[in-house]
Amino acid sequence: MTTAGAALASGFAGSSKAATGAPKRGGTLVGTWGGFEPQSLFVPAGGGSSPYFTSTKVFERLIRLTADLKFEPVLALGIEPAEDFRSYTIKLRPNVTWHDGKPLTSDDLVFNAIQYWKPISAGVTLDALQTAEAVDPLTVVLKFKVPVPEFFLKSVLAGKAGLVIPKHIYDGSNIITNPINNTPIGTGPFKVKEWVRGSHVEYARNDNYWNAGKPYLDKLVIRWWRDPASRSAAFEAGQLDIGTFNPIPAPDIARLTATKKFVAETKGYSNSAWITSVEFNQRREIFKKREVRQALLHAIDRGFIADTVFFGRARPSLGALHFSNSIFFTKDVQDYPFDVKKAAALLDAAGYPVKSGSRFKMSLVSAGWFEENVKIGQYLKQAFEDVDITVDLAIPDRATSLKRIYTDYDYDVAVSNNSASIEPIPQTTQYYTTDGIVKGAAFRNATGYSNPKMDETVSKMAIETDEKKRVSLVHEFDKLAASDAPVLPMVDLEPVTIARSDVRDHSLTADFMGESWAEVWLDR
Amino acid sequence: MRRIIIRRLVQIIPLIFAVIVMNFVLIHLAPGSLFDVMTSEQQITDPKMLDQLRHTYGVDQPVSVQLAKYIWSVMRLDLGYSYRQNAPVFDVIMQQLPATLILMLAAIGIALLVGVTAGVLASIKVNTIWDNLISLGAVFFFAAPSFWLGIMMTVMFAVKLGWFPVGGMRTIGVDESAIGAVLDVMHHLVLPATALGLFYAATFARVMRASMLEVARLDFVRTARAKGLSGGRVVLAHVMRNAMLPIVTLLGLQLGTMLGGSVVIEAVFSWPGIGSLLFDSVMSRNFPMVLGVLVLGSLLVAVCNATVDLLYLRLDPRIKAR
Repeated sequence: MTTAGAALASGFAGSSKAATGAPKRGGTLVGTWGGFEPQSLFVPAGGGSSPYFTSTKVFERLIRLTADLKFEPVLALGIEPAEDFRSYTIKLRPNVTWHDGKPLTSDDLVFNAIQYWKPISAGVTLDALQTAEAVDPLTVVLKFKVPVPEFFLKSVLAGKAGLVIPKHIYDGSNIITNPINNTPIGTGPFKVKEWVRGSHVEYARNDNYWNAGKPYLDKLVIRWWRDPASRSAAFEAGQLDIGTFNPIPAPDIARLTATKKFVAETKGYSNSAWITSVEFNQRREIFKKREVRQALLHAIDRGFIADTVFFGRARPSLGALHFSNSIFFTKDVQDYPFDVKKAAALLDAAGYPVKSGSRFKMSLVSAGWFEENVKIGQYLKQAFEDVDITVDLAIPDRATSLKRIYTDYDYDVAVSNNSASIEPIPQTTQYYTTDGIVKGAAFRNATGYSNPKMDETVSKMAIETDEKKRVSLVHEFDKLAASDAPVLPMVDLEPVTIARSDVRDHSLTADFMGESWAEVWLDR
Repeated sequence: MRRIIIRRLVQIIPLIFAVIVMNFVLIHLAPGSLFDVMTSEQQITDPKMLDQLRHTYGVDQPVSVQLAKYIWSVMRLDLGYSYRQNAPVFDVIMQQLPATLILMLAAIGIALLVGVTAGVLASIKVNTIWDNLISLGAVFFFAAPSFWLGIMMTVMFAVKLGWFPVGGMRTIGVDESAIGAVLDVMHHLVLPATALGLFYAATFARVMRASMLEVARLDFVRTARAKGLSGGRVVLAHVMRNAMLPIVTLLGLQLGTMLGGSVVIEAVFSWPGIGSLLFDSVMSRNFPMVLGVLVLGSLLVAVCNATVDLLYLRLDPRIKAR
């Protein structure tokens, strides 16, 4: 992507400044997010949003994605592909040190690529990575088995899997179980000062941060409340400054922002868009029929879900890609507007007429990890019963949902959620491809859908290095996904950040929750 | 006295054993496993990596072997390792147990003080407006869910009036002297301990009132009055002391439920105790952690109950250690 290259070349300065005056230094920022405490401050293999939130204040990535979807440098000054796109040269930023004073070098990067990213954090995404060689102390060349699209590789490096961890601490140990993960040491603007389990983690300013003058904050505290109403109370009592990813109950948002003391910001989530989807188990004769799946989609009033369940903080999805994906999204896909009559007609045509009050019986499993899924499950039961289907609804807890949907495939129709990055491979595509079927592995193809044409399109996407052609391949993928509909998003969620109005320069990147927050400052 | 202590200690061993076996079986009966939860969170899909993790977590062994290994390690005072927390179970619990203990002790203190006082007052002023008010209050605090009470108290005293912090156990980011730290914790403790304690205070008040009225009718009280003792002395030394016995019984019984009740209060006030730890561990089927908390919890309850029995002896020497 040429624009991305230009952004990389132009450097860090002036990239994401908001016009809010000169930043002030100092102060303590207390932040939280709409979920629970992490199991460990850093979970090498991922571990979900919570450890991602805590570890990214300490660990940084080579590059990051800005709110307008351009890459800009963090630890790397440049990432340049070779002519054939089979190798990439990474130039590291000079004079970067770890929190313990050791310099960041190309050795660290080689270690990350081969021993951390490929086997642990990125997994299949970096399957094609063959070798990583240090050319000089600040230059590394990554070599691949096949051509690798530039946007794809940069997305991986700017994504959740691309954190850069210190070789001198992890080398020779089991990275996943290393006790240092509870007090990670990185290159970031903040150092872990103290983690009080069950309460909070306190970070102190890294005075030797490579980006001179930053961070602006003296201290950063991330606290956890189990109860959303308690977070609202903490905001009102002045004991909480910022909360990402829906920290408070939706009805409270209007109440807090009406005081003008708080702002609700929806930017900062485009590279980790959340989606609520419906999945049809293809192992069941009835749901193998495309007409049945399409009929059921017509029977769902997505607008109702968006307005009522999410209080308007969601919108009906279209196709497999999310709306905030301005690079790959297309409107040119089959849509399933709410139409009960059409749904009934499709079911009749598919060979399932109403016999003694019911067409057929199905099991609906709504994954109970979000409160909204409970309501959606209850709504879908109603909606499907309106087209005369007998529904056996189950809303199991997290562990049981995972087992029923992704290990035992014990469902007919499932409601689940997933987060998707801008780059559709692999997070979005693995719901549709044959190699996405891995029994026991969650958040991928659990429906058993397999279509050679789909597999072929996705494998073309994986090696197409011309960005324009790649975009049209993604459109092709999206069209097929939407018309075959083995699994489709129902609504795109609109996550919201709540912040005190004197917290400045937050939400400026595509994935703010996972940024280091070096630029955030307090106007007090 | 010594016999009762030794007997209690001996009884604890089969109790702990039963707690382990029962909970181990229960956790394994629940669908889903720690392995499912952790691999899904970490989005691990490489079959080789899955096998390696199965081996690391020890879930590739038969359940009976896992149980036997666990019992063996508990016998050596080792509660195992929690992969989810990436730390030994004992260490994680010990980081969070003190907070729960402080909360429970404070709540019991408030419950006893408020409950017993209210009960005594209601019995002295029986069938007056005082009695009615206390009974009404008792019904209210007994019926009000503690999380609701907690949130209401937060809204009132933390948000509107700003007298107390909204949550947590200490003011974060401030270095204080030892005395300052104690005061700080006490300041944070007031709301959660009150919210938790009032529920139990309600029970205590009802029981104390009934018990007081019953004892007040007995002959020895009449004798005491006949001897010409002052009203206050009769109530305190004769009626109350004897009326305390059911309260002590109740206290012993409720220690266990208080541990459960603190889970809710800890969630509302983000109190860094073992409540949320236990909740998370059950939800993620993290059985070493669940068992660890339950083993230590049952130990705690057993020790408290033994203490209650000793209290019995003090209050009524007619009860002999058998």
